[in-house]
This record gives sequence, C-alpha cells and structure tokens, in this order.
Amino acid sequence: MAEQKSEFEPKIVVYACNWCTYAATDLAGTSRMSYPPNVRIIRVMCSGRVDPQLVLQAFADGADGVIVAGCHPPADCHYIEGNYKAYRRFELFRKLLGAMGIEQERFRLEWISAAEASRWVQVVNEMVAQLKKLGPLKPNMEVRE
Amino acid sequence: MSEPRIGVYVCHCGFNIAGTVDVKKVVEFAKNLPNVVVAKEYVFMCSEPGQDLIKEDIKANNLNRIVVAACSPSLHEVTFRTAIKEAGLNKYLLEMANIREHCSWVHHDKEKATEKAKEIVRMAVAKARYLEPLEELEVGAETSALVLGGGIAGIRAALELANYGFHVYLVEKSPTIGGKAALIGYIDPQTKGAEVVSKMIDKIKECPRIQVLTNAELIQLGGFVGNYNAKIRINPRFVNERCTLCGECEEVCPVEVANEYNFGLSRRKAIFLPFANAYPPYYAIDYRVCVKCGECEKVCRFRAINLKEEAKILELKVGTLIVATGYDPYRPFKGEYGYGLHPNILTLFQLERLLDPDSPTKGELIIGGKIPKNIAFIQCVGSRNTTPGAKEYCSRMCCTTAINSAIKIKERYPNTNVYILYKDIMTYGSDETLYEEAGKKLVNFIKFEEKIPKVLITPEGLFIEVFEYTIQENIRIPVDAIVLSIGMLPPRDIEELIAVTRVSCGGEGFVREAHLKLAPVEAPTKGIFLAGCITGPKNILESIRMGSAAAAKAMALLSKGKITIEPMIAQVNEEKCSGCAICVGVCPYSAISIKTVNGDRIAHVEKALCMGCGTCSAACPSGAMQHLGFKDLQLLAQTRAVFGGEVHG
Amino acid sequence: MSSVLIIGGGVAGIQAALDLAEQGIEVYLVDKAPSVGGKMAYLDKTFPTLDCALCILAPKMAALLRYPNIKLIMNSEVQDVSGRAGNFKVKILKKPTYVDWSKCNGCAVCTEKCPVKDVPNEYNMGLSNRRAIYIMFPQAVPKRAIIDAEHCMRLNPPPKAKEKAKGPLCGVCQRVCPTKAIDYEQKPEIIELNVASLIIATGMELYDPRNMPELGYGKHQNVYTNLEFERLVSATGPTNGEIVRKSDGKHPKKIAWIQCVGSRDIRFNHYCSAYCCMAATKQAILAKEHLSDVQCTIYYMDIRAFGKGFNEFLERAKKEFGINYIRGKVVRIDEIPETKNLKIIYEDTAESYLKMDEYDMVVLSVAITPNSKLPVPVELTEDGFIKMKDPYLDPVSTSAEGIFVVGAVAGAKDIPDSVTEASAAAARAALIAKRFSCPTEVVK
Ligand SMILES: Cc1cc2nc3c(=O)[nH]c(=O)nc-3n(C[C@H](O)[C@H](O)[C@H](O)COP(=O)(O)OP(=O)(O)OC[C@H]3O[C@@H](n4cnc5c(N)ncnc54)[C@H](O)[C@@H]3O)c2cc1C
Ligand SMILES: Cc1cc2nc3c(=O)[nH]c(=O)nc-3n(C[C@H](O)[C@H](O)[C@H](O)COP(=O)(O)OP(=O)(O)OC[C@H]3O[C@@H](n4cnc5c(N)ncnc54)[C@H](O)[C@@H]3O)c2cc1C
Ligand code: SF4
Ligand code: SF4
Ligand code: SF4
Ligand code: SF4
Ligand code: FES
Repeated sequence: MAEQKSEFEPKIVVYACNWCTYAATDLAGTSRMSYPPNVRIIRVMCSGRVDPQLVLQAFADGADGVIVAGCHPPADCHYIEGNYKAYRRFELFRKLLGAMGIEQERFRLEWISAAEASRWVQVVNEMVAQLKKLGPLKPNMEVRE
Repeated sequence: MSEPRIGVYVCHCGFNIAGTVDVKKVVEFAKNLPNVVVAKEYVFMCSEPGQDLIKEDIKANNLNRIVVAACSPSLHEVTFRTAIKEAGLNKYLLEMANIREHCSWVHHDKEKATEKAKEIVRMAVAKARYLEPLEELEVGAETSALVLGGGIAGIRAALELANYGFHVYLVEKSPTIGGKAALIGYIDPQTKGAEVVSKMIDKIKECPRIQVLTNAELIQLGGFVGNYNAKIRINPRFVNERCTLCGECEEVCPVEVANEYNFGLSRRKAIFLPFANAYPPYYAIDYRVCVKCGECEKVCRFRAINLKEEAKILELKVGTLIVATGYDPYRPFKGEYGYGLHPNILTLFQLERLLDPDSPTKGELIIGGKIPKNIAFIQCVGSRNTTPGAKEYCSRMCCTTAINSAIKIKERYPNTNVYILYKDIMTYGSDETLYEEAGKKLVNFIKFEEKIPKVLITPEGLFIEVFEYTIQENIRIPVDAIVLSIGMLPPRDIEELIAVTRVSCGGEGFVREAHLKLAPVEAPTKGIFLAGCITGPKNILESIRMGSAAAAKAMALLSKGKITIEPMIAQVNEEKCSGCAICVGVCPYSAISIKTVNGDRIAHVEKALCMGCGTCSAACPSGAMQHLGFKDLQLLAQTRAVFGGEVHG
Repeated sequence: MSSVLIIGGGVAGIQAALDLAEQGIEVYLVDKAPSVGGKMAYLDKTFPTLDCALCILAPKMAALLRYPNIKLIMNSEVQDVSGRAGNFKVKILKKPTYVDWSKCNGCAVCTEKCPVKDVPNEYNMGLSNRRAIYIMFPQAVPKRAIIDAEHCMRLNPPPKAKEKAKGPLCGVCQRVCPTKAIDYEQKPEIIELNVASLIIATGMELYDPRNMPELGYGKHQNVYTNLEFERLVSATGPTNGEIVRKSDGKHPKKIAWIQCVGSRDIRFNHYCSAYCCMAATKQAILAKEHLSDVQCTIYYMDIRAFGKGFNEFLERAKKEFGINYIRGKVVRIDEIPETKNLKIIYEDTAESYLKMDEYDMVVLSVAITPNSKLPVPVELTEDGFIKMKDPYLDPVSTSAEGIFVVGAVAGAKDIPDSVTEASAAAARAALIAKRFSCPTEVVK
C-alpha cells in the first residue's frame, strides 16, 4: 500500500448524558448521518454526573479535546437541574484550563437535545476542525489518579 | 468479587454493523484485552440463538461479566440483561459497546470504523472489569391516578382507570371538562361532538371513583412512580354546587366578552356556563374579567355565589400521572389569508360551531347575515410550511374535518358551491370514502403547490386567486365566505407542563414518547403516560384510543401494588464521608440528608427518592458518594481505556 | 383466573399479549404462520425514524417467551367460536408441522441437509428459495423447523419416484436431526379452549396486483411489490441487501414507485391503505442509501404524510435525498423486450396529458386487504374490515361483546397506531378476564 498522507487525527472524549445527548448520538446513527470517527462517547446519566477530575484525566491521558454534553437549559434536564450544575462547574473549570496550558477551545460544554442529531454532527465537525488547527495537546500537568 | 472473567460478543446486525466494521478483527482484538476469557461474533446477537450463545458461555466458561458490542443500550440493554440473568448472572454485570449507532452507521471508512469499534469495545471491557452486582428495590405503589387534562383523551383514560378499580383525580384547568371535542359540531357525518362528550360525562357522573377537579392546575409533582406527590391548586370558581343553572346571574352581569366556547362567534358574560352539557354543571366566573361588582351575588337566590372564595391547595398521593392536556388550535395572524380583515373569513372551528345545532345560528350556515353561495376552504393553514409562521408537520385531521363539513354543507344547501383548496388530501384509511363522497356531491377540489392561494378583499367582494396545479393556470374564484382549515399547535403553556412534570418535547414542540413506534403512550419517565393530542395532532377517535391505551399501560404497571426500582442510584461510603453536606445541596430531589451515626455526621441517601442522576457523586470532594453503575472508578477506567490505559483499583 | 385468546401475532397481537401477560393473565396467541412477527418482521427499516424493524420488534418477540403465562399456538387457525363474553368456547385447528416442537431446538441442521432446494421462500416473497424443511426467518419466535408437506419428498413424493422406490423416500431430516424431533406421522390436531375474551389481530394481506394486468406485475420481471422491495433492501433478504434486478442481476439506475395500486380506486378498494406513501418514501431513501447514484421517482395522487414526523420525513426525502415526486396516474407499464426496462405511461396531472418515462425497476405500492374472514361472529365494515361497534364510547370493541379488534384488520394503519390499539384492547380484555374470576364492580 502506498503511503497515505497522514494528517493529525485528534481524539475527543465525550461525556454524554443519557437522556438528551446520548439519544442524539443514537439518532445520528439511526438517521445515517455521517461524521468523522474521532469521538469516543462515554455515557453518564446526566451532565451533572461529570466530575472535572475525570476530564482532566482524559487530557492527561492524551485527549486532544473533551466535550461534556447534556440537555438544554433551563428545563430539559431529566433530573431537573443537573445541566445547570454542570454549567456552573465547567465554566469555572474552563478558566482553570488555561493555567494548565490547555487551550480553552479544547473543551466544550454543549447542550444537545435528543432530537438534535444534526447539532451533534455539527459539534463534532467543528471540534475536529478546531483541534486540527490547534494540533495535538502537549499537556504539562500532573493529575492524580 | 472474584477475578473478572469477561465474555465479549460482537454482533453483525446483518450488515448494519458487519457492512462497515470488520467484526472478525474486533473479536480478535477483544480476545487479548485484560480479563477477557472468550470473544465471539454472531449475526444477530439479540435473536434467541444469539442470546443462547451468551447463556451457554456463561455456564461453560464461568463468565462473570458480559460485554455485548452491538447497538445502542437503549435498544437491547434490557434484552441482554434478561438473558444473562437467565443464565444465573446478576443482570447488572453487563456492559454494551455501541458500535452501531456510534460507529458503523455514521462512518464509511471501513478501516477507521473498525479501529474505532475496537476502542469502543476496549472501553466497555475496561468498565466491565469494575462492574458490580446490584439488586433492585421494591416499593409499594398507590393504585390511584392523576389524569391531567379533561379533554376527550383524559376522560377516556379516567373512565378506563376507574374500571380497573383505580381512584382517579381528573384535573382540568378550565371550568368544565370536555375539551375541544365538546365544541365540534359534527365529528363525523353522523356523530355530534357534544353528544359523544355528554355521554362520556354521564358515565363520569355515575362513577364514584372519579373525582373531577376543574379550575385546577398541577403546580408541583414530587415523588416517583407508584408514589407521586401532586400539589394541585384549585382556582376559585366563585360558584358552588348550589347553582341550579337558573341563569339570573348572567342577566345582571355587566361584563361581556367574546365567548371562547363559540370561538368568538358569540359573546358571554363574566359569569357564564361554558356550554349546555358542561360538567360540573354550575356557572363559573371568569376571574380575569370579573370586576367584582357583586351584582350576581345579590341576585342569586340559591346563595351559590361567593366572590370571596380563594384558591385552595390540594395535596394528592397518586401512583401514576397521565398527561392529556391536548393542543391549541393554530391562530392565523391578522391578514393571513385575510383573517381578521373581513367578517366572512373564519376558521374551521368557527364553521364547525356554526354547523352545530346549538350554535348562535342554530346550526344554520349564516355568514355575514346570509347563506353563502360560494364558500371555499383553504387547507394547511398553519401546517406543512404553508406560511412563515406555519409548522412543518401535517395536522392530520383538518382535511377530513373540512371534507366532512363540506359534505354537511352540500347536504343542507345543495346550491352552495363548495371549494376545497389543498396541497394533498389526507383522508387516510377509511376516511377516503368521505373524499369520494365529497366528489360525488360536487365539492370542487383545487390543488395548489408551493405557491399558496391569495385572498383578495375588494369592493366587489371576496376573491381567491390560486395557481391551480392540475390545469397549471391562475384562476380567480369569487366567494362569499372563506374557511381557514387551521391546524394544531402544542399547548401554549407546555413550558410549564415540562417544568412541573419533566416530560420533554420533540423538535415539533409536542411531548415526546418513550418510543415513537413501540411505546407511543409512555413518557420516558417511568409512571408517566401520554394520551391524546399532547403528543401530536390526532383526530378524536385516535385520541380516545390513546386514552384507553395510556390507562391500560398505567394499570399494567401498578396493578401489582408494587414497583421495582432500578438500583443505579447513589450510595455513600460512610468511611470516606466527611459530612460536608455538599451533596445535600446539589441533589435535585432532596434525597440526601445528614444523619449522625455514632457521633459522626454522615450523608444518607433515601433510596426511593434518588433518581440516579449522579450529580452528588460528581460534587462529593472526598469520593464518598458513589453513583452505582457509574462509579468514579468505572468511568475512569472507561476514560483511560480510550487511550489504552488502565486503572488499578 | 380466566384467559384471553389473541388471534394473530403481528406487532399488534404481540403487544396485546405482553400487556396482558404483564398483569398475570393467561394468554393464548394463535398465528397461522410458523412464527409471530406479522408484516413488521418482513420490513427492513420503519418510517419515519428509519430504525430497523426487527431491531425493535425482535426484543418484543423474544419477550413472549419469557412469560410462562403466554402460550404460543403457531401454524394454527381458529375454526369455531361460540359462547359469550366471559366464557367463549374456541376450537383451533393446529396444522401438522411434522416436527415435534417440544424437541426441536432450531439448530437448522435439517434445513441445510434437505435435498429439496427449490421451494420459493415466502419470507423473501419468493425472491429466494428455501428447503422443504425450513425455519421461517432467522429471528423467528419460536425458532422451530417446519416441513412443507407439499414439497417434501417423503410426505408428497413425486409419482414417478414413488413407483420406483420400495420404501418411503428421503427421510434425510429425520436422520440428521440431533434431537430426534422429526415426526412424519404428525396429524392435524384440534385444540379446544375456554377463554373469557378474544382479541382479533389478524392484520392484513397485500392486494394482488395481477388484478391490474396493465401494470404487468408477474409478467415483467423487474416490476416488484413494495413488500418484495422491502425484502430486497433488507440485509436478511434474498440478495443480502443488494438491490439488483431480477432480469440481469444489475443495480438499477432509475427506480419508480407507483402509489395507490389497488387503493383509492373504485374498481378495487375504495379506502386509502395509509401506509404506502410513507413506505415508498422510506424505500426511496433506502435505495438512495444503498445505491448513491440511483434516481428515485414516486408517482402519486396525494402524498399522505399525516402522522407524527411524516411530513418532516417527506421534506427530507425531497430536499436531502433528492427523491422526485410526480403527481400522476400511471396508466400502463410496458416492458422493453431487449433491456427488460420498463416504460411507464402516465397522466401527468400537472399538464393533463399522457407522458412516458423509462425505468429499470418499478415498485408497486399495493393496497392492503384485511384478514377478516374469520369464523368469529363479528360485523364487518363495507370495506371488509372488522367493525368497531362504537369507537367513540367503547373503543376497540367489535359488535360482539367481549371480542376486541386491533391493528390493521380494523382499518389500514401504521405500527404506532396498531400498538396503541393493542394496549387499549389488552386492558379491556383483562377487565373481562378478571371480572369472571373475581367479580369487581364495573362501570360500563
Ligand atoms: C379546527 C379543528 C377541527 C377539528 N375537527 C375534528 C373533527 O371533526 N373530528 C375529529 O375527530 N377531530 C377533530 N379535531 C381534532 C380534535 O379536536 C382532537 O382530536 C381532540 O379534541 C383531542 O382531544 P384531547 O383530549 O387530546 O385534547 P383537548 O380537547 O385539547 O383537551 C385537553 C384538555 O386539557 C385541558 N388542559 C390543557 N392544559 C392543561 C393543564 N396544564 N392542566 C390541566 N388541564 C389542562 C384543556 O383545558 C382541555 O380541556 C379538530 C381539531 C381542530 C383544530
Ligand atoms: C411494504 C410495507 C411497508 C411498511 N412499512 C411500514 C413502516 O415503515 N412503518 C410503519 O409504521 N408501518 C409500516 N407498514 C405497516 C405495518 O406493517 C402495519 O401497520 C403492521 O404490520 C400492522 O400490524 P398487525 O399486527 O395489525 O398486522 P400484521 O402485521 O399483518 O400481523 C397479523 C398476524 O396475524 C396472522 N394471521 C392472519 N390471519 C390469521 C388467521 N386467520 N389466523 C391466525 N393468524 C392469522 C398473520 O400470520 C400475522 O402474523 C408497512 C407495511 C407494508 C406492507
Ligand atoms: S390534514 Fe390536510 S389540511 Fe391538515 S395539515 Fe394535513 S394536509 Fe394540511
Ligand atoms: S444521584 Fe445523588 S443527586 Fe442524583 S438524585 Fe440521587 S441522591 Fe440526588
Ligand atoms: S434438525 Fe431437528 S432440532 Fe434442528 S431445526 Fe431441524 S427439526 Fe429442529
Ligand atoms: S397511503 Fe398513499 S399510496 Fe397508499 S393508498 Fe393512501 S394515498 Fe395511496
Ligand atoms: S439529564 Fe441530560 S443534562 Fe441532566
């Protein structure tokens, strides 16, 4: 086989809430939409379940980007306000990223409803393009396990 | 628990997976993952033989964790959980690797898809290594129900539930039950809406197990399936059961407004009876317009009126909630097809009221003072993207309804010319016979496409200009009256409904079912069911059947008097908990409290209240609060496995 | 506790059975086919969400087996019903399968070894062959083998071979069956049941387009019914999901769908079959997905996109997939002898004159007809569907008390509506079953 031009393929870890975003990722599948294979989805029950520690670990292990995604505020969250908790938690977190040498663009908090498969595809496309521009992440941080 | 012994099963799903993912390679890869004892492939894992394959392996190889790489867990997690349970394994020792929706269906490059599938399997195996057996809980369930919305769907559901011995609270926002069906003249050529509704209301009256609460709203819903706590606000009606319907109050009331029960075709007072067979059969005062002059109170000989009545709060304990809050009719904007600019341009609802023998014209088709010689229906008003404000969906019942009305008109006024301007005629199923009959009765059907008809209001009268598709020509029709076949909208206050009940909406704005095809009357939240137009446009028959079906489902769920609760909830590790109470503040269900155990402050989770969101676990600074099934270690293992890493816990 | 009999195990019958069983009621589910599943089991994907039919149906089918209180009586038909609500006497004819189902485990060894290889496979609408002993489809429930006596060498030996042979012919399946399940002597059996209530869920059959000879179905090789096409695009179908022409095995480049074949036509059936507009739209999208350069055209009278998500689906088909919709009445389909391509002659209602277009594959969206000819004392509608006595006040009840009707046999409808009715009927039947075991006060 001839050598293929190997382009940098970023790896993105996604924490998706079960009720909205995970359902949207399923819908993207059932609707046979198409998007780049750079994402790895981890299902949690609610975006409020995602611990920033976990996101840091993902970056430390080699993630080029991380998406935390849940139901639209104000009222879509299956657990009333988990998305709001996630919002507060990760807005703070985003500010801390810079201090660790991680570009803020590498982290996204997204609201994607169960019907918004196309939004999901769009987010993946945008993120992949963005990360290709940024190049691989070289973290300079230590994370406790 | 003993060393994990994992079995990995990769499904072809016919070609759905195998067409894009090299299943064999995935299996080979899985074989070398830590703790994996067997890895196999099969064409349809979910089929009986597929399930049997797992069951046999569990026994033969002493497997204690199973990973199925197939479709989304939302489809088959239950299937495989049941299968492994049948083989004697705790059913929560299963992890699904979603290589269909998340991989084979969204990627085309076979090599990349196969690589991705491998990693998805590796992540699932990593999590599986840390899975623990969990036990379901059982809690008691009330055999009572709250039916929200007293339209035809809600009434049907209430009757049905009462038949099963449930105690039913039928909560209706307006002063009467009956909904829109009660106002429709003829719901099919032989049947009057009001008649059907009053027959059903008669049954409700006879039934001691149904408690009708009108002027009532659900303002809070707590608890969980089998044990909901509902807070109802009963707004004052100002008229009590002593009312004899003498109507004297109405005479003296000085406030007059458009009568919404006649869609504005007539006027009513601030104190009014919605319609002849309204239930409960008492007058009501519309507090929004009442000026509290006290005239009615004075004139009422039966002392049925009390203007000082105040709102009451009622707290109910119910096992289930059926949401049947219906729809709102589309309201054309001023000037849409001339609506609001000419008295002879009315909505389909107004026409239906006119044709009802109880209408202000006693059922006569009198529009603008006379019987129209030419009347035209314009279809898809507010539906199928016809105008900027229109919805994309088809409202499903307006074609049949318009044709039904057209036939009625033709029967009574054979000399009136009736035109129906349409995009497609949606007389699906047996309603087609009505379309045929309308054709025989010489109703004129005029088809338009993207270019919608134009209504011209001129000194010479009303005209419709339309590009008639079948002759490909612009035509101009003089008409005396125009009926706009309006569609349906989600109820205006659906946001409040969502906020209180946690149901959710689809893209078109109606409430979403648990599964569009196979669970059409269930909401995603266990214990909440859906009936009637709240999930989307329907005709009356379909709404009624949905009412029956929703009641049936609720009954099947609660009939045993107990409910099992999923065990994936929060659990405190008492050793680690420092009693900081951060979790207490984040739990949306107030499921956590601080208790003192042997002098230490320790968080305590009320299992029946915990809904398993895991927010507390993410917030807990000491790692004491763990979300079963999504423990820190499990998610960490899954995360690290993306990059081939492992955890040691 | 008394029991309920469900006739027909399509999606409606299955749902009703599960709902009843969940409440602990004993259910008998009779189907004339060897497996439950009905028409939905033949479908590839379902509109308007395009989820795969068996993916969502198979778990429900499998769930039937998990309830000890559900008894499946397959390959059987109801012969007689007498009695009244609370106590119906039902006679069921169980046709022989020539396989002892209590022994058969569905291993399918017999179906690989049987020497009769050329029996048209009903599940693939005759587009592929099966053996004389066969399992209806891979996900069949129950998954059991059945011998088609007519084609079996042993049970119906060809006259010439019979003369020559000394003893009985073949017997291969009996020899290979690891569980000794084959029983050539099996006889029809009559099963008598007492049930409190009945639910009719016998669904529909497709109308035979040979009644419209001008469309050439059965004569022109590349004219298919929509159910055949459904099998053709299915991964479990005759070509493993490859869309190829019967005449030359080539991929079609232009496919046409003809709507309302036998429906909305005063010569055949007056009613609209209600599923076919969306089914054609779905199939055209699937064709596009399988063959990206194929051109899809749908000839229609009205596009009936009335259900939840339907119009959105239609808009997607037009905009995203470029499916072409022509409002026109097809008058005739001719086959071009050399290419086996098809010439469609139609009246374009937009221009009101006859036009012609050439395709290399044509799919007929045929009407459905109800399976309502049953020995059950219920009234029918003019169109032959089973009549709901008073659908407003007594939903899903037939003219006979205690007998309910659901799904397509009560009027053309799609899956969600069938499922909704099934649940409604299950509850009403349950009420009767319970009333006759522990009387409760009933408000009717
Ligand atoms: C113009 C037009 C003409 C029609 N003509 C026909 C016809 O001829 N034949 C036919 O079969 N169908 C017809 N329909 C459809 C028919 O109206 C509906 O199918 C039927 O009324 C739906 O019943 P429902 O119970 O779901 O909703 P609704 O009738 O809307 O009832 C909902 C009830 O819930 C109450 N409610 C709403 N929100 C709340 C809340 N938050 N809390 C408590 N209560 C609440 C409302 O006050 C109402 O009483 C027509 C529809 C339209 C728009
Ligand atoms: C080509 C095609 C495509 C379709 N696509 C879709 C789609 O994408 N989405 C959708 O929602 N709907 C679709 N439909 C419609 C869908 O198939 C029906 O709505 C659904 O199958 C009706 O279910 P049912 O259970 O009422 O009947 P059926 O599925 O017909 O089941 C009836 C069952 O009864 C049995 N039976 C019949 N007669 C007897 C008897 N005398 N005794 C015992 N048993 C008997 C049959 O063997 C069968 O198992 C499609 C239909 C066709 C034909
Ligand atoms: S039912 Fe008829 S009028 Fe109503 S939205 Fe659908 S096509 Fe338009
Ligand atoms: S998981 Fe925690 S925060 Fe969520 S409901 Fe349960 S106790 Fe409350
Ligand atoms: S060989 Fe025997 S056990 Fe196997 S499928 Fe055939 S009849 Fe059944
Ligand atoms: S659904 Fe469409 S194709 Fe089928 S009969 Fe009705 S109008 Fe014709
Ligand atoms: S459930 Fe989706 S964010 Fe909470």
